[in-house]
Amino acid sequence: MNVYQPFTVRVAEVTDETADTRTLKLEFTDPAVAERFDFRAGQFGEYSVFGAGECTFCIASPPTRKGYIECSFKSVGKVTKAMRELNVGDVMGFRGPYGNHFPLPSLYGKSVVFVAGGIGLAPVRCVIWNVLDLRDKFKDVTIVYGARTVADLVYKRELEEWGKRPDVKLWTTVDPGGETPDWKGKVGFVPAIVEQAAPSARDAVAVVCGPPIMIKFTLPVLKKLGFTDDRIYTTLENRMKCGIGKCGRCNIGHVYVCKDGPVFTAAEMAALPPEF
Amino acid sequence: MTELRELAKKLLAEGAAKVVIGWEEGPRGVRPAFATDAAAADRLVFDARCAHDLAPYLDRRRVHVAKLGRPAVVVKPCDARAVAGLIRETQVKREDVVLVGVRCGGVLADPEAGGTLSADTIADRCRTCDSRETALADHVVGTPVEPLAAPSRRDARVAELDAMTPAQRWAFWQGELARCTRCNACRQVCPLCYCDRCMADKTQPQWIESSPHGRGNLSWHLLRAIHLAGRCVDCGECERACPSGIPLGLITRKVASVVADRFGHKPGDDPAVPSPIGTWRSDDPQEFIL
Amino acid sequence: MMNATTISSSDLSGLAADLLAARVRVAGPARASDGTVEYRHAGAPAELVLDSGVPRRSLKEFFLPPTEPLFAWRTGAGGRVELLEAPLPADPAVVIGARPCDAAGIEALDKVMGWDYRDEPWFARREATTIVSLACAGFDRSCMCTSVGLAPDTTKGSDLLLVPIGGGAFRAEVVTAKGARLVAAYPARFRPASGEAEAEAFRKAAREKVAASAPPAADPLRPWLDAHFDHPLWREASLRCHGCGACAAVCPTCHCFDIVDEPETVGTGVRRRNWDTCQTPRFTIHASGHNPKNDQPARIRQRVLHKIVIYPKKFGEMLCTGCGRCSRACPGGMDLPEVLARIAALAGGAQ
Repeated sequence: MNVYQPFTVRVAEVTDETADTRTLKLEFTDPAVAERFDFRAGQFGEYSVFGAGECTFCIASPPTRKGYIECSFKSVGKVTKAMRELNVGDVMGFRGPYGNHFPLPSLYGKSVVFVAGGIGLAPVRCVIWNVLDLRDKFKDVTIVYGARTVADLVYKRELEEWGKRPDVKLWTTVDPGGETPDWKGKVGFVPAIVEQAAPSARDAVAVVCGPPIMIKFTLPVLKKLGFTDDRIYTTLENRMKCGIGKCGRCNIGHVYVCKDGPVFTAAEMAALPPEF
Repeated sequence: MTELRELAKKLLAEGAAKVVIGWEEGPRGVRPAFATDAAAADRLVFDARCAHDLAPYLDRRRVHVAKLGRPAVVVKPCDARAVAGLIRETQVKREDVVLVGVRCGGVLADPEAGGTLSADTIADRCRTCDSRETALADHVVGTPVEPLAAPSRRDARVAELDAMTPAQRWAFWQGELARCTRCNACRQVCPLCYCDRCMADKTQPQWIESSPHGRGNLSWHLLRAIHLAGRCVDCGECERACPSGIPLGLITRKVASVVADRFGHKPGDDPAVPSPIGTWRSDDPQEFIL
Repeated sequence: MMNATTISSSDLSGLAADLLAARVRVAGPARASDGTVEYRHAGAPAELVLDSGVPRRSLKEFFLPPTEPLFAWRTGAGGRVELLEAPLPADPAVVIGARPCDAAGIEALDKVMGWDYRDEPWFARREATTIVSLACAGFDRSCMCTSVGLAPDTTKGSDLLLVPIGGGAFRAEVVTAKGARLVAAYPARFRPASGEAEAEAFRKAAREKVAASAPPAADPLRPWLDAHFDHPLWREASLRCHGCGACAAVCPTCHCFDIVDEPETVGTGVRRRNWDTCQTPRFTIHASGHNPKNDQPARIRQRVLHKIVIYPKKFGEMLCTGCGRCSRACPGGMDLPEVLARIAALAGGAQ
């Protein structure tokens, strides 16, 4: 089997997150693969629908939940449209896990602040569940999540669950004008809400993922709160084909996002050429 | 040459153009040049080595060229036909570009090798070109030239292919197209291939397979031939650019002869004359429609 | 490993005949239908035309074909999907008359094809293929092997290097164990080593010829390039670029590829890997429409930097062998030696 040949996975569950974003729960068709498959939070894979092609997404479920993986996607192109056509029981392809990961064990004993926007919550969600599944190994857990409108918030059931937990401080927000009459969360852009939430930077790291504009304005806020560049993590999205450092699409300078990333600290990103 | 350089300097000095797109000496013979000042204008050249069609540089997608400002483009008659095509198809506004026509007696088949123009060395497409200068230009430079009498080897080859059995012709094109790697050089240098999203790049649905195998290559070159029918100005750039040496001129020439035969049309340098692919007449021949 | 032997032109031809008789595929420079030279599989030794110029495209297509199947799929009853692995290409082959710059490109590519994940189709062909190169006398002014740490007689990537020693004979230097096996397998075709002085003279003259017109060495330009990511140079250099992929198609080291699915019938199809190039906007565009390399200057910069900055930093060697094909193939008249000379002038001025 060459490295480009995927595992086959079966759709076990389909969840609509928003009007155009969907989550697929996927189980390996080969029990032996299901048994040995392992990954780390932050890694990604190449998902494929046979006949449509491959597409790159993070693994949105945590490695602490065995036997399946989840993938959240927005229908935009040929492959994601084909993925949207799939029903429970259908078979698709998966190659992975690829890339580096969040250095979780080295964060034991620290507080973690999660900041996410829109579908950027998918890779962060993997880390959130990983942290929550090992809750006693971490101090404070703060989540700031925003979307353009209430309808654009993903993982709504889980947001509700996190909001109810006494050991999680959850701040949800929507952009001004995106609220509904019964919206209980904040109204405002993510960076402003991070400033309001003002998580302590003491013994803490931040995990940030979202649209470039959100990241751009969130980083200065985190810095003001005392988070240094080496304690802010993000995960980069770049167009990829092979996912294994060969096809030449994802470099930013000499960094191959698919192998040296997708997880980078803000300090590492600052050292890259401004081309992402 | 002095006339061209002086005109270029005048256009730049008077602000009629911000850049004069012409040819200059490069490391491997002449090449496209983008003169934005008098010194660069003094390096412009025109001779039989200037095979490059410069009309593609007017493509709106070439943002980095457009940033230089209002262009003047040096055009041979074939290049002028290309610009006329762009104007006809509303890609370029006539008033947005200054056209400097050069009188042309043809270019060399092997521009890099240089040498003088003769019945032996002249490019094949120039043997069947009947245009020595263009009426579309704002300025015309150079001395009047007489056409060289040279038989078209390409027409002879097209006739040979026409005389073949379909099986022989199929084998011939299978062999030639097998060399295609789908690098897209033929499309990128074509002045009339300006589509924002080429049909060959579309994936929903995927009309043309992107793989350079027999099926994909055949569909790609058929698509290109049909899309350029009656629009191709025979500037020869696709064949010159092909890094795999595929005789694309045989295809464009054959299609041009079919269009001339059925529609009485030959692409010229008058933008007001519509092309058959862009018009419909009740007496258009239809016998090829299945 | 370095030992040597001698082979005459007629024995070289005979070697090709022996190999073909033994059902080994033989490839090398040969005439295409239009008379130009390209690397192709030869059906008979006479088809090989040694030292007849630089073949149109490089040797890489024998190891990374323009298109190749990765696997096929077949959908069965109950939505079951069966994946049919593409057989690994393991037919033994010998390339005769490779240009040293092309052979060097293959060895350079071993790094990216082998780091961490092993590209089996590439290495299957690598292992099955023996490369016999012919030292080059220097071809034209676009040659710049000496600027990227190589030479017209470089042995990098070759299993056997032939150096002309006059009288239609070659001194054959054994570079690898694979080369030694080829010599050992056909002992009748090889004679005791001779012509060392002649070979040395040939090599020296070739190096001097290339170095005379080649741009300054690319290696020392790296600090300047690192410090000047945004520089008007890239805008100027890319003006005449058409954004076509001719440079990448002929390049011995451009290896970027695309992966596509192609249905064959309802429920069956093939996933293929195809050549691709960083010179098109499609290459890096995100699903959102955002494109990190959004204009031609950025794409030209990527191609140059990948060759002389990115790859060396990542893999410790240049991703350019100085073959000059990109300059020869460019329909817009772009010229890598010229770009490097310009960077060297800028870097020199900056110091």
